Amino acid sequence: MMYALNFVLWALAAMAIGLLFMGISRKLTARLQRRYGPPFWQSFIDVIKAFSRKSISHNFIMDLCALMGLAGLLAAAMYVPMGGILPFPSDSPLILILYFMPIGYLGMAVSVSASGNPLASIGIGRALTLMLGYEIPFAIVVMSFISNYGTTNILSIMQAQAGGIENWHIIKMPFGFLASLLALEAMTGKKPFDVMIAPAEIASGPMVELSGKFLGLAFLQYSVAVFVETGLLTALFLGGGATVWEFVLKQFIVYMVLTLFSEIYARYRVEQAVRFLWIYAGGLAVIQLALNMYMK
Amino acid sequence: MSFTELTKLAENEKYSTYELFFGPNHPGMHGNFSYVLNVIGSTIISARPSAGLLHRGFEKLMEQKLWFQNMSLIPRICVVDPDPNEVVYCNAIERLAGIETPKKVKYLRTLTLEMSRTTSFLMGMGALSAMTGLYSTMYRMMDDRDKILDFFEWLTGARVYHIYNIPGGVRRDLPNGWVEKFREVITYLKGNIPEWDKLLFQNPVVQKRLSGIGTITTEHAVNVGLVGPNLRATGYLADVRLDDPYEAYPELELNIPVTEGGDALARAIQIRKEYAMTLDLIEQILDKFPYSETKIRVDLGNPLKFKVPAGDTYAKVESSKGEYGYYVVSDGGLKPYRVSVRGPSLPAGLYLSQEQLPGLLIDDVAIWMASLAVCPPDFDR
Repeated sequence: MMYALNFVLWALAAMAIGLLFMGISRKLTARLQRRYGPPFWQSFIDVIKAFSRKSISHNFIMDLCALMGLAGLLAAAMYVPMGGILPFPSDSPLILILYFMPIGYLGMAVSVSASGNPLASIGIGRALTLMLGYEIPFAIVVMSFISNYGTTNILSIMQAQAGGIENWHIIKMPFGFLASLLALEAMTGKKPFDVMIAPAEIASGPMVELSGKFLGLAFLQYSVAVFVETGLLTALFLGGGATVWEFVLKQFIVYMVLTLFSEIYARYRVEQAVRFLWIYAGGLAVIQLALNMYMK
Repeated sequence: MSFTELTKLAENEKYSTYELFFGPNHPGMHGNFSYVLNVIGSTIISARPSAGLLHRGFEKLMEQKLWFQNMSLIPRICVVDPDPNEVVYCNAIERLAGIETPKKVKYLRTLTLEMSRTTSFLMGMGALSAMTGLYSTMYRMMDDRDKILDFFEWLTGARVYHIYNIPGGVRRDLPNGWVEKFREVITYLKGNIPEWDKLLFQNPVVQKRLSGIGTITTEHAVNVGLVGPNLRATGYLADVRLDDPYEAYPELELNIPVTEGGDALARAIQIRKEYAMTLDLIEQILDKFPYSETKIRVDLGNPLKFKVPAGDTYAKVESSKGEYGYYVVSDGGLKPYRVSVRGPSLPAGLYLSQEQLPGLLIDDVAIWMASLAVCPPDFDR
């Protein structure tokens, strides 16, 4: 019973943190664009508004997979150690997180594909192609950790960074960090890798058929994805955090860096994005793996 | 797979193609226009312009309103660059009626035309930024555009549709302190150009996205009827301001640039060059402005009884998109007998689209339109 309560609280916290980051990011973006921008709590208002609206569902698959998308990412969020804390006893296995995350993306993919809108299908096609681009470099970075520590448990990797900044993997594994940062830029759908949304090209792609509660679910799914993805980078490269606040602050810095990068780059075409990720992120990841294996 | 192979596949397997309606509520579409695209995967097989969504009957409306009344209608044909409509319509009337406008009017019209060109270029570069995903650059450019609109408001009383020019002159003289403040803004805008270079024109991702899109040779551009920056981006110098000068342009030194290449990147760079040149030209206009003169219009009597002698004429100006022409016919009455508008976007938006969009990806449609500065109201009236 306690674990169930923990699960609910953790899920709410993941969504709230993600939405807060999204709101502040919108404000930051607005200021860069010489606009005033919405208040930082606007993302919360948007979700409440979306859930209060009437939704158009095309079929049962669309309903089911929209929930599956959120469930997959929430499952991944359960293994992200906020300041070393987890909702239930676990070693926080990285492999499990990497397994749950695509369930979330695939849930959304099937859901919007079921709508039958060609623009949504093109967006999903692009998103899945892009996944090939960022998952391979990130998987190679994970292999670097395995080669170093012989484990994929995030808690163990976090403990190995204890003792000061000099022990953080951002210092010890800089190439792996850069590769992960590039992969994360793509994971969060930030430019230059926002091909799956691309308003000028495919009219926001997957979002085009999402109304009311479906749009609310998509917002929540993205907020949890932001929590998980920034959480992974924080735990793996920035020493995690001794407290929840420290961990969330580091996550926040990571997300703001991603936002700033996003504002100065134009959008790649999908094949250009995949090529870039394989060549540069993949190259950096391979260098890191080779260094780790050589220095072992 | 090559484009020819894809076309064959489309013919053989008709179920592998799908129809995509691009516009008018598509964020990549400019104005209330649309293309019906046949697509395999992401490659366009054929494109059909679908006009009629904006049809407001401007030309027919003009035949039913007095010569002066039309002044409030015509700027609405092109939202982005409205002043060429005003000036070209006034020029046509003045030519038919044999009216010679004072020197100060010529300078004021030239000034507003160049101001309008600046706002249009900022909008054009901003649109190109947005189409490639650079929304920050677009918003910052819109902020710069707003600064010029402030001065339009100060001078004319309106931000977008100025209705400043009237047959025989202009409505208002320059307000006190306007020139000094405007010079400061021009200096500020010039100072921002290096920022646009870094963010947009030298951006490696933008260069990758734009190069090779919608390439056209000079010969083909002339045959199709491309004008303005689109033609000059193929390396060919043609400009109404040089070839058939009007208003105060004969007294100004024009250094109109050209760019080689003929693709979307060349067109973007051409607009960037012309933007800088326009800011220089505005400074030149302010330097040579006949401040001592006071007459800003010719008295044409009661506008409600104003008649234009029978005849026909074709007046043209160089708008931000190229030659903008009005063919005006008068039967000597209170209203125009016929007004036909030749918008500069016509060749690209209507004809070239059917030729150049097939073979491009869906990704490139909006970039193609933005690079050619297609303004559908020019031709879909």
